[in-house]
Amino acid sequence: MRAADAFFLPVFALLALVPFSFGDFTAYQLSLFILYGIVGQGIALCWGRVGILPLGQAMFFGLGAYLGGGALIWAEGNWALLLPCLVLAILLPALLAGLVALVVFRRQTGSGPFFSLITLALSMLTYQIALTASDLTGGFNGLTGIPPLPGTDPWGNLYWVILGTLLVTTLGTTWVLRAPIGTLWSAVAQNEARLSFLGYNVAGLKALAFAGSAALAALAGALYASQQGIVSPQTLGYVLSGELLIWTAVGGRQTVLGPVVGAVLIGFLSSELRDGFALWEVLLAAIFIGVVLLMPQGLGGLARPLLDKLSRKRKAPARDVIIPLSDAPSQPDLSFSDVEVTMGSVHILRGLSFDMKDPGLHCVIGPNGAGKTSSFNALSGLLPVSRGAIHWNGRDVTGRLPHQVARLGIARKLQVPMIFHDLSVADHLNIAIWAQNLSARDALRPSSFRRRNPVMDELFTLFPFLRDEQKTAGELSLGHRQMLEFAMSIMNKPTLVLLDEPCAGLSKLETTDMTGAIARMREKFGISALIVEHDFSVVETLSDHIYVLHQGELLAEGTLDQIRANTEVQAVYAGGSK
Amino acid sequence: MQEAIVFSLNVSYGIISLALLVLGLAIIFGLLGVLNMAHGELVAIGAYTAWAVQSAGLPLLLALPVAAIAAGAIGWLMEISIIRHLYRRPFDTLLATWGISILLREAIKICFGLEYKSVIEPVGGSITILGADYPTYRIWLMVAVVLGFVGLFLWYRRSHAGTRVRAMVANPMLASAVGIETAKLARRAFVLGAASAGLAGCLMAPLIRIDPYMGVDYLLSSFFVLVVGGLGSLQGVFIGSGVIGGAETAASTILGGTGGYVTVLVISILFLWLKPGGLYARR
Repeated sequence: MRAADAFFLPVFALLALVPFSFGDFTAYQLSLFILYGIVGQGIALCWGRVGILPLGQAMFFGLGAYLGGGALIWAEGNWALLLPCLVLAILLPALLAGLVALVVFRRQTGSGPFFSLITLALSMLTYQIALTASDLTGGFNGLTGIPPLPGTDPWGNLYWVILGTLLVTTLGTTWVLRAPIGTLWSAVAQNEARLSFLGYNVAGLKALAFAGSAALAALAGALYASQQGIVSPQTLGYVLSGELLIWTAVGGRQTVLGPVVGAVLIGFLSSELRDGFALWEVLLAAIFIGVVLLMPQGLGGLARPLLDKLSRKRKAPARDVIIPLSDAPSQPDLSFSDVEVTMGSVHILRGLSFDMKDPGLHCVIGPNGAGKTSSFNALSGLLPVSRGAIHWNGRDVTGRLPHQVARLGIARKLQVPMIFHDLSVADHLNIAIWAQNLSARDALRPSSFRRRNPVMDELFTLFPFLRDEQKTAGELSLGHRQMLEFAMSIMNKPTLVLLDEPCAGLSKLETTDMTGAIARMREKFGISALIVEHDFSVVETLSDHIYVLHQGELLAEGTLDQIRANTEVQAVYAGGSK
Repeated sequence: MQEAIVFSLNVSYGIISLALLVLGLAIIFGLLGVLNMAHGELVAIGAYTAWAVQSAGLPLLLALPVAAIAAGAIGWLMEISIIRHLYRRPFDTLLATWGISILLREAIKICFGLEYKSVIEPVGGSITILGADYPTYRIWLMVAVVLGFVGLFLWYRRSHAGTRVRAMVANPMLASAVGIETAKLARRAFVLGAASAGLAGCLMAPLIRIDPYMGVDYLLSSFFVLVVGGLGSLQGVFIGSGVIGGAETAASTILGGTGGYVTVLVISILFLWLKPGGLYARR
């Protein structure tokens, strides 16, 4: 994308000359396709970046068009009245989009078909409303007699206004995607669960992206009203939604200008071929299916190798913004009282009760199926608790969402390392250090990429591989991935970190590094840990206190020597059941 | 009294016809995890088949096998050419089937034109039930669908086909290791789902508006049923149809068409928000 910077301005300069070299009609057509392309930029933001697929994007385009058209009629050329209305015409659809996404994504992890179909249904609904509320919208015939923006002519200088808008949206989108929020959006597409365990509200991040895409669509819609002079219900409908998606897919959903190229290219081809060639629409659908099957990156994907060759690999910026550590209490106070978790007919936890009030390193052991990981899942809000309660610092935290638990100072590292496969080590460290610590302004500021804190400094010493920040996480060995995830989970000095078999799959040497790091973090920053572990050599080095779980209940607790001497524990581990 | 009977017959009709329309989508989504966006177009193809058979002067009963075969054949083509490459890529199946739905819609436009078609009911007139008149064809349709569902339910409970398909979806390698012919099984499930969509379209043809854009309505209402009912069981299909069909019929009677649509949409969004697994979640 960086190399594309060099092409930006010449391309736009050439585009500005189109009315002179190809005539006003071509410019008029081109400006319409550019407007569709701007909507496509929003779709690409959601679909290519965040991984959520809006199927009814024409709805926001149409809403912007109706609102903008209404404003143009009502203001009668008075800029002072028009401007605030136009701002509203963009903000209202964005607000609606954000709200819908928040509601739908609150309990839906992943981005399956549900959200997509809800957007499609909403676009059908607004289409119906536009048809029936004819007093407001002009019904089937649409809103007519809309004057162009004051001082512009749709067949003349409005072209440059639209081209200028495209320049602004392109630069704006590029800038936002390169800001911290862009990194977070990429992370959403890669691993939502990891983000929620860090304390990010993933539904909020998705809603923000969807609202942004709706704002782009509404902006294009308002300009469309000015350019066409008429807004009919078709601008809201699912047919246009489908076409917008095809243009975006063909142009390339992972580039900023790809959707515009797709819209312009297919737009001109359609206007040439639609009338003469009966099968054109069928062919277009077939092309779309072909792109989905064989060329998911679209035309932008073809240009990618060339752009990559031209762009130099960037060095990570030096980390010179020092963030102080939070002064959260380092005294954990966790208690499970009579917690039950049931899945279907299986009782996973059956009345688990224990208290953990001392800082330090605590181990949870027990045979397979004892409920060790499940107790972690119940605490971090992944498993529904059917009876009993979990308290943290005296507050009932039963049934909270994962990101809410994380924000209470309870971090988590999973058994199979959870990382963002395609993101760099630097991105991982940044995402971790931003967690619960990123204001809206910081989310747009490049300086956020230069943060470090004392924990990170210590991690660089403990795990030297982290200094190679440009490396992609997918290239790391299993051991390094475990360490990277551990590093992320403790970056902001949580009160308690839940570690699920942190040494699983590590070599002997790596195990020593990992246990050393856990002990070091305890010693230097006072981070307590609750560790599930099978490997007794690890338990020996790391345990101040041990809980033994068996069949969903607490069997015993105490120091290592007490546990060793416990006959019940011996019976369980020797294979007998009590 | 008569009004109440007609109203409750209307609600039953709404629920039962919806369950009929959902079945094809539920089979493919529930068993294979593919949300078939072309479901509505397959329904449309069934309806157009009924129209074609009737305008050729042939008996309408003949349209039933023809519609099932036509939609099934298209489903088969979809599966072997496109869908089978995408079972592990759920996002792309959504897009590809969406592309197929556009393709089918455009093909219908070319073959049959844009204008509305209508199919004449094979059995006209009305039956008097408890003093209320109700169209005979609707009554027959309801009886046939309920019997069909009972049969399907009994068969499904006893056969292992569903278990084998789910085993295949959960772990294709293990499933083929224990001797399940995964590719064939998936294809059969897909063809079955497509054929039942075609059959539904054919049965409904005398009662609905037939035009190239009819598909999306059926896709969405079927999807709402699955959101409310949950995936993976016939009970879910019926409960979901009950909630959605009942709410839509009742709200449309009181608030008009758009009001019915808004009600159904709001119910679906509330379900996604508060009970994302639906009422009859498999797990």
